[in-house]
Amino acid sequence: MKYAVPIVAMLAAAPFALQSYQVTLLTEILIFALFAMSLDVQMGYARLFSFGHVLPYGVGAYACAFALLAGWPLPIAIAAAVLVATLLSIPIGWLSTRASGVAFAMLTLAFAQLGYAIVFKWNTLTGGSDGLTGFARNAGPFGFDGFVSRDGFFWLVLIVVFAMYWLARGFMNSAMGRAIVGVRENERRASAIGYVPRTLRIVAFVLSGALAGMAGALHAGFLLFVSPEILHWTLSGHVIIAVVLGGTGTLIGPMIGAALIVLAHHQLSAVTDSWPLVMGLLFIIVVIAAPKGLWGIKASLAAKISQRRAPPAGEKHAAS
Amino acid sequence: MSVLQLWLNLGLNTLSLASLLAMLTVGLTLIFGIMRIMNFAHGAMYMFGAYVGISAAQWAGNFWAGLLFAALSAAAVGAIFESGLLRHLYKRDASSFLLITFGLSLVLTESTRLGWGSNSRDVQLPEALAGVVLVMDEPFPLYRVFLIGFGLTALGILTIVILKSRLGLLIRSISQNAEMTQALGVNVGTIRTLTFAVGCGFAGLGGFLAVPLITGYIGMGSSAIIESFVIVMIGGMGSFLGSAVGSLLVATTQSFGNFYFPDLSLVVTYLLMIGVLLYRPGGLFGEEE
Repeated sequence: MKYAVPIVAMLAAAPFALQSYQVTLLTEILIFALFAMSLDVQMGYARLFSFGHVLPYGVGAYACAFALLAGWPLPIAIAAAVLVATLLSIPIGWLSTRASGVAFAMLTLAFAQLGYAIVFKWNTLTGGSDGLTGFARNAGPFGFDGFVSRDGFFWLVLIVVFAMYWLARGFMNSAMGRAIVGVRENERRASAIGYVPRTLRIVAFVLSGALAGMAGALHAGFLLFVSPEILHWTLSGHVIIAVVLGGTGTLIGPMIGAALIVLAHHQLSAVTDSWPLVMGLLFIIVVIAAPKGLWGIKASLAAKISQRRAPPAGEKHAAS
Repeated sequence: MSVLQLWLNLGLNTLSLASLLAMLTVGLTLIFGIMRIMNFAHGAMYMFGAYVGISAAQWAGNFWAGLLFAALSAAAVGAIFESGLLRHLYKRDASSFLLITFGLSLVLTESTRLGWGSNSRDVQLPEALAGVVLVMDEPFPLYRVFLIGFGLTALGILTIVILKSRLGLLIRSISQNAEMTQALGVNVGTIRTLTFAVGCGFAGLGGFLAVPLITGYIGMGSSAIIESFVIVMIGGMGSFLGSAVGSLLVATTQSFGNFYFPDLSLVVTYLLMIGVLLYRPGGLFGEEE
């Protein structure tokens, strides 16, 4: 958190220093980072391996597109999309958490596929495989249109993503957030204390879905185009890779993982068509060699260095 | 076509589709039942087997050579995955196997794309299988009849091996208690590799046999894996009877659905799964967790 202010300040200044496509790339990174962070709320903190995280993301995107098509201002469209994603996540979280582990993963996958099938087939509403176009970033209440331009939208995304990171961090440090981690670490002890593990899992699932819905809404506002592709399970796979690559159980790790994946995609797809192959290999190596991801490696290195620098503290710990 | 003829036709379609789906899911069930690994790369194996089989059939000018190579190549890749990677990770929990095999599915899919390109491919049916048979005066593709027979035979042999042979006994004992089996002097590592390879071999076989119906394409694995997960969830993870019944249910929904409500058949398949899970969270024949 101590670097947050300089990082956000630097990012906020980016549109003045960078070229147009770089601002676009940064916007894409921020949105994918929010998506990855949202998944980690359930995957890292509650150990719910969702393979269907595209569902709230895609539903948020479509809801935002519908709202913009209806002429709603962008901020209200985003808020509505988050509401829809949240409401959808409640029954799905309730149903999916009846299972656990691998079965949970497959259930979420199947729910996401159900969403994909509905969006794909319901031509009259969703435009089928052609998707939805022809909407714009409508000006806000009182005619405020500061976020309509490319740079303005980038700033809006930056503010939203930072605010969501801050909120999620606050939640994870709250009593309920700690209880969710407690259930992950030792379910039996947590329930002995009086927590209801399943309720806490559903809370994490719904919160995670709300954040994913927000990322999806931003995605729709960013590209001004949505198609069933954003509900395809392969995107769930990519976001899982981002989370695992960056480091599960930390909010910042998945965001870094997401940035790396978007950048790698841009760089590698210029060189080779088979960037998924590179990504797949990298993913396997990380899962095997560094289960805590890149941010986890950094954290354990930092711990080692600080131990070496301050031997008295280390000795004290060893003695006690 | 009378209603009776139509239903007979749809029923036979269901059986042929079910036998294909059962071949796909039986490998998944075998691997999960014995090793507790939900193999996400199973769909990629299915696709990979199909591509190798198509090439082998073209090269040899013989459909049956394709069938053999499809099964053997997928089994070989499965053996490599298990002995080179998975066996070193048995201490990990089930979810990390889901992640690792997901990574493997990406690698296998993209390697196949590199080797064969993105175009879809087809295979020539041998004359013996190319015709139609008359079922109550209505033509029905002979190949689908062959699928029913082949599927029943293959699954029957697998069932007999697992239930009646010494190897099957060892496989079942490993699934119960691997350490104890090892202590009795059984080479557990080899049997696990074999199990994984056989499971993947069935996927490759299913992939090649599906080609005459759907033509081979790179994305066929990614739809197959979802379909098989749905079947496994309906039937219950790790249950052979469950994967057979699940295959039959899904095949019924799809073949009748594609006729009566083509736009909704996919949705109905997922609703079927959700309905079953509401009724029994562990699947129809699964153990309650």
